[in-house]
Parts: sequence; structure tokens; C-alpha cells
Amino acid sequence: MIEAAVVVTGVTKTFPVPFKRRSVLAVRDLSLRVDAGQVYGLLGPNGSGKSTTLKIILGLVAPTRGKAEIFARDSTEVASREAVGFLPENPYFPKYLTGAETLRFYGKLCGLSSRALTKKIQELLELVGLTSAGDRRLGGYSKGMLQRIGLAQALVNEPRLVVLDEPTAGVDPVGSREIRDLILDLKKRGITVLLSSHLLDQVQEVCDRVGILANGELVSEGAVNELLAVENQTEVVFEAGSEELTRQIEALINTAGGRLIDCRKSRKTLERLFLDVTLK
Amino acid sequence: MNPVRAGASHKAFSLDRIAAIASNTLTELTRLKVFYVLLLFACVLIGSSVLMARLSFQQEFQVLKDISLGAMSIFTSLLAIVATARMLPQDTEDRIVYTILAKPVPRFEYLLGKLLGVLLLLAISTLIMSALFLALLYSREHAALAATNRQMAGLPQEQLHAALQSIRDSTFNPDLLPGISVIFLKACLLASLTIFISTFATSQIFTVVVTVFVYFIGHLQGTAREFWLQGHSAGWLARTFLAVVALLFPDLQLFNLADEVVAGAAIPLAIFLKTAALGAFYTVIYLLFATAIFSAKEL
Amino acid sequence: MKRFLLVLAATLLFGSVKLPAEHALFAARSELRLHGVPMDLSLREQIGQLGFIAALSGFRSLIADFLFIQAHVAWERTEWSRVLLLFRQVTTLQPRGVLFWDMAAWHMGWNASVSVFNDKSQPRLALRIKAQREYWDLARDFLERGIKNNPDQPKLYEALGRLYREKYKDHARASESFAKTAEQPGAPSYAKRFTLYELSYCEGREQEAYERLLQLYNADENERLPTLISRLKLLEEKLNIPLAERIPDRAH
Repeated sequence: MIEAAVVVTGVTKTFPVPFKRRSVLAVRDLSLRVDAGQVYGLLGPNGSGKSTTLKIILGLVAPTRGKAEIFARDSTEVASREAVGFLPENPYFPKYLTGAETLRFYGKLCGLSSRALTKKIQELLELVGLTSAGDRRLGGYSKGMLQRIGLAQALVNEPRLVVLDEPTAGVDPVGSREIRDLILDLKKRGITVLLSSHLLDQVQEVCDRVGILANGELVSEGAVNELLAVENQTEVVFEAGSEELTRQIEALINTAGGRLIDCRKSRKTLERLFLDVTLK
Repeated sequence: MNPVRAGASHKAFSLDRIAAIASNTLTELTRLKVFYVLLLFACVLIGSSVLMARLSFQQEFQVLKDISLGAMSIFTSLLAIVATARMLPQDTEDRIVYTILAKPVPRFEYLLGKLLGVLLLLAISTLIMSALFLALLYSREHAALAATNRQMAGLPQEQLHAALQSIRDSTFNPDLLPGISVIFLKACLLASLTIFISTFATSQIFTVVVTVFVYFIGHLQGTAREFWLQGHSAGWLARTFLAVVALLFPDLQLFNLADEVVAGAAIPLAIFLKTAALGAFYTVIYLLFATAIFSAKEL
Repeated sequence: MKRFLLVLAATLLFGSVKLPAEHALFAARSELRLHGVPMDLSLREQIGQLGFIAALSGFRSLIADFLFIQAHVAWERTEWSRVLLLFRQVTTLQPRGVLFWDMAAWHMGWNASVSVFNDKSQPRLALRIKAQREYWDLARDFLERGIKNNPDQPKLYEALGRLYREKYKDHARASESFAKTAEQPGAPSYAKRFTLYELSYCEGREQEAYERLLQLYNADENERLPTLISRLKLLEEKLNIPLAERIPDRAH
């Protein structure tokens, strides 16, 4: 059996409301498992409990019931964080620090020596494509650069699991494409990635497996390919075909007892168009 | 980039981590231009000389010392409260606290690092203010000595010496140093108290208001405590009130040695050490309280 | 809510631990008179609400200085009752301020007393003398209370000695005060001589004064100052000391 990076068992979390008897239910009886090496996407509308679930996994919030484990260590143990890197949603790193200084600070928190850090920082800046910006203050970084330095920060202790909360929120398509590439890069290196998002097509592109949360409950879970495959339907895409060819195909389908549902011109996505135009 | 470090043993307490957080906090506070307070202090010193135009030199030195130490006390206290009160809310708002605590950093170390950063800031501020104050005192002493030398030019040596000695006696007094140290300790106590309050406060304003409230009550606590201990008060309601004040609040009046030092009283070493120990004790206790609450806090 | 109560309980528990420590330190400092003044309502009436609050929040000395400067202004305007009132407040706020007690007594005993004595708007000499004596008494009162608060400060004993000598012309009390001055650490060297000079003016104590002055004369050449020699010679005459035992005419 493949090693589990994250195991959440029967977690319920309620937040008390000050001065009221009732409390708010953020997560209800949630169980999920992320295998090592997977990219797992946690989906759901705003307020569905995604961030709370991630915080429980990271030990930032204690579950009311149930438990969360990272590589078989309870999340409430500080030591479980040895193997984790985390990028919260929209972090504001100190503006007066340079990219390299930011990474140095987080490296020290992970107990890295100064010498090991100097090498590590160069490596990370290269990985996230900020080598030339490493000596600039974060105050002058774009949103995408900030997300990338945040990702580098999460990687400083060479974690086996990286947790990303809305990694592309507020980032332009070019920036979010870069982050997507980085995530795929991490996967290639054998690092498990757990991310939350409400931008579905992005998740579709990078994730092996997704879980969908609604009102604090896991309503659907499974491999992306399985979840999205539509039973009993097949798409055919071809190039340089004439109207006649299309008619013949339709006739063929009809004689075989099938039914043509739709026939249209292929379109590129708006994102593809944006990337093609802006990256020239 | 291979995950080689997985399984490396985790240190339960690391000075390196604390030092990293402390120095980061200090840098952050320095960037906030809190050192403008020092500029204000310098202005107070210069402004105070206006008051002294009509005083004799002995009076002048006493007033100069009172104003300087009083300003030092209020500025370090304010700095301690304001700088500390914004730390936790700011880190939460910027989500920096998540990135730090998602690293293998125990929450106690986070708080200790933050507190040490503020204490460093307070130490640096106290040192700079003391240097400014002592430099001014020294230059005023020189001016007074020169003036006396001129005025008493024709008089016998013995009288001149006595006059010069009395000027020297009324300027620098070694007891000023314990007086200043205790001012610093009071600020440390307040910083630790502020961290404690901010772990359960709902906003920065709340923290500042509560701490300032404690600051004022703290100066009254001694009076309430002695009154209660002597059993003067008649009604049980009044007695309970005094008891609560005495138990709940620190005695900040005890950290006011400077007044007596300036007035010329000598501070025995034992008294200074006991006061310092009490200050350190408070600082540690409040930090432990803060840790107890912060450890269970949902972030 | 539960956590709030828990924090409250912990703080109270800690309070009961720290209370004895605070009290012990307070007691030790009170013994050394290192604890300022107990704040009471009469002080609040004196310095007003704002001053009272400021004094409570650790700015007692600053308020004292401020009032002291006001007293200085009042003196320049010769508003004596205001000088008196302000100095009472100043010394209440900062009883360890030797300078304050000294200045208060000096203004009363040497400035106000002279001013009222020369006040031509009061035609009756007897009343002017009475007013003058009242200010002397105020000066003495300031010094005595100052000494009670600062028993080891030579300056206040000396000021009291001078007041007795110059104003009351009470040589016995003056001598006593100078003797006390000499006993304190850091006393000026003339305190001992002043004690004996004053003693030499006291009827019936000439013999004692003579013996102790002679002792001082023999003990230290630096003490052989003109006043000391002239006092000795006067006493030698008065007591009919045999010529052979008298000091030489000129000190070498």
C-alpha cells in the first residue's frame, strides 16, 4: 500500500460564537486521505471549510472531534511540521525584507545553518524563477512574484508535503500558469501537494485527485479523470475536415445506433488566447 | 531538492529559532520608525532647559534629572505597550503567524521571540535615552563648573573646591543607574503584560486600552494593598474590592526608584536586586500566562 | 468565557503568591523612606484632580518640580502665602527632596520674614515683629519635618543651625544642630567648629566649650582658623586660664 501523506479521520470543528449559546459548524465528520506523491485538490465555495480543514491538518486549529495526521504523526505535535511547507492565502510578507532575507528567516526557523542556507536560498530562488529579484525588497514584487517567494518559503525545509491555500488567488493568468508549472514540478520531484481552490479548471489541470467540500462536508471525492468522465459519451476532434465529412460521420453514427449530441467549431480557451497574446 | 531531512529529530527548544524571530521582530519595529520617540525625548530635554533659565544650578540639575527620568519612564512604557500590542494582530492579519507556526516552531518560542524583540528595542531605546541624558547632564555640569570658576576667581581655594564639589555632587549620582535599570524593567514587565493581554484581546485598541488601564491601577495597587493588609476598611464590599485590586494588578509604584534617587536618596543594593527580581518574575509569569492561552488559541 | 474565567483564576492565584513579595519589598523600602508618600485625599485637594492623577501614575517628581518652579515665580512676585502653599505641596509630593525643604525654609526664614518686617503698610512694629517670628517658625517647621524625612542629610541640620544662630539667636539650639550636622555622613568640616563657636556663647558652658575648642586646636593645625583662635582667646580671658597654658598669640 502506498504511504499516506495526510490522513484525516472523522474531524468535526465547531467555533463558538461569543455571547451566544450556539456555535458555528465549520467542518462536519470529515475523513480524507492523501497518498504520498499525489497532487490533491480541495474544492469548494467560499466558506465551505477548506481553510479550516487545512489549518487542522497543519495543527493551527485543534479539531473538536477526530484527528489529523501527517506522515503518521499527529498534527498537534510540533514535530509533525518538520515534513510540511505551507503557503497561506494572500500572505503579506514583510515588505522591507528582500526575497533572500525572507527565505533566510524561514530557513532559520527550520533549524538550517547559515552556510547550508546560503546554498539553499540560491537553489530555491532559481526554482521559482526569482534569481535576479532575490536582492530586491518584497515591497517591489508583483503579486505573482510574492506567491512564488511564498512557495519558495514553504519549500525551504525540503518538505515531503506542501500545503497551498488558494495559491493562485489574485494572481494574473501568466503568474498562475507559472505556479501551476511549479506544482507539477514538485510532483515530479515526488513531493505531495495538497491545495485548496475555487478555480475549478486550474485544479482540473494539475490535480490527480479532488475532494469537494460544501457546508463543511465532503460531498464528492475521487480521481479527477474518473469524476469528470461522462458515461457513454466520446468526443472526436479532427482537422481540415469539410462539411461533407461531418455529414458522413453523422450518418455513420445514426446507422450504428448512436446519437450526435453536438457538432461545433473547436475553440481555444480565453486563457490560452491570453497566454498566446501576452507571452509573445 | 529530495526530501532527505524527513525524520530528522526535532528540537523541542531552539535558541536559533528564538533568535531568528527576535531579530526579525526588532527589524520590523525599527522599520516602523518607533525611534522617533527618541527624537521626542531629545526635544523634551531641550525644551526643559527653557524652564530652567531662572533656576540656580542645583535646582536646575534636580529638575533636569526629574524631567529626563520621567520622560524616559513614560516613553519606554508607551513604547513597550504600543509596540507589543500590534504584534499579534498584525501577524495574524498578514498571515505571517501561519507561515511561522506551520514551520516546526512551538508557540512558546514564537511568543518568546516576539517578546525578546521588543525587549531588545526597549534596551536600545533606554541606552540611547540614557546617553542623551548623561551627555546633557555632563555638558551642563561643565558649564556650571566653568561659571563657578569665573565667579569665585578671587576667593580662597578651599571655598572654590567646596563649591565645585557641591556642583559635582548634585549632577551625576551613581544611583541614577539602578534608577534607570528599574525604569527599563518596568517597561519589560509592561511588554510582557501586553503580550499576555493581546493573546485574548479581540483588537489592538482593546489591548492598548486594557494595558493603559492596568498601568494606572498598577500605580495605585500599592496603596490599595497596604490598606487591605492593614484591615482598615470596614465594609466587606470595600475589602473585597481592595483584595481584587491587590491580587490582580502588579505594583508598578515599586518600579519607581528614580524619584528617590534624584531627590538624593541612596538605593541599597539589596533593594535594587529585589526590585529587579520582582520585575523579572512578573515578566516571566506574564509570558507563561500568554503561552498558556496562545497554545490553545485557534488561529 | 470559560477561558476568561480560567485566566482570571490563574491571575488571582499568582497574585496571592506575589503579594507577600510585594509587601515585603514595600516594607523594606518604607523603612528606608524610599517609598514617596501615601496618597491621601488631602493631597488631592491640594494639587487638584489632574495633578493627583499624574502623581499617581508615576510622575510625582515632575509635578513637584513644576510646583517648585511656580513657587519660584511666586517668590519673585513676593507673594509669600502662595510661596508657602506651593512649598507645602512640593514637600508633600517629594519628601526626599532635601533641596525642596531647604529652599522652603530659606524663603520663609530669610526672605518672607525680612519682607514682612520691612512692610511699611503695617504701621505697628509689634505686629511686624510677630509676623516675622511666624515666618521663622514656618522655616523651623519645614526644616524639622525635612529632617524627619531625611535624617541622614547634613544640609538640613546645618540650615536649622543657621536659623537658630542668625534669626532666633538661640546659641544652645544652634550648637546642637551643628553638632547633629557634624554627625552625618558627608558633613562639611566647619560643622564641628560651628558647634563649638555656638557653645562658647552659651552662658555657663564656657568651660566645656573651651576644652573642646582647645582639643580641636591641638588635634589639627588646619583647624587653627582666625575665628577659632579669637574664640579661644576670649574664653581664656573669661575663664582666667593661667598664662602658661594659653595658646600662643599667633598661630604658626
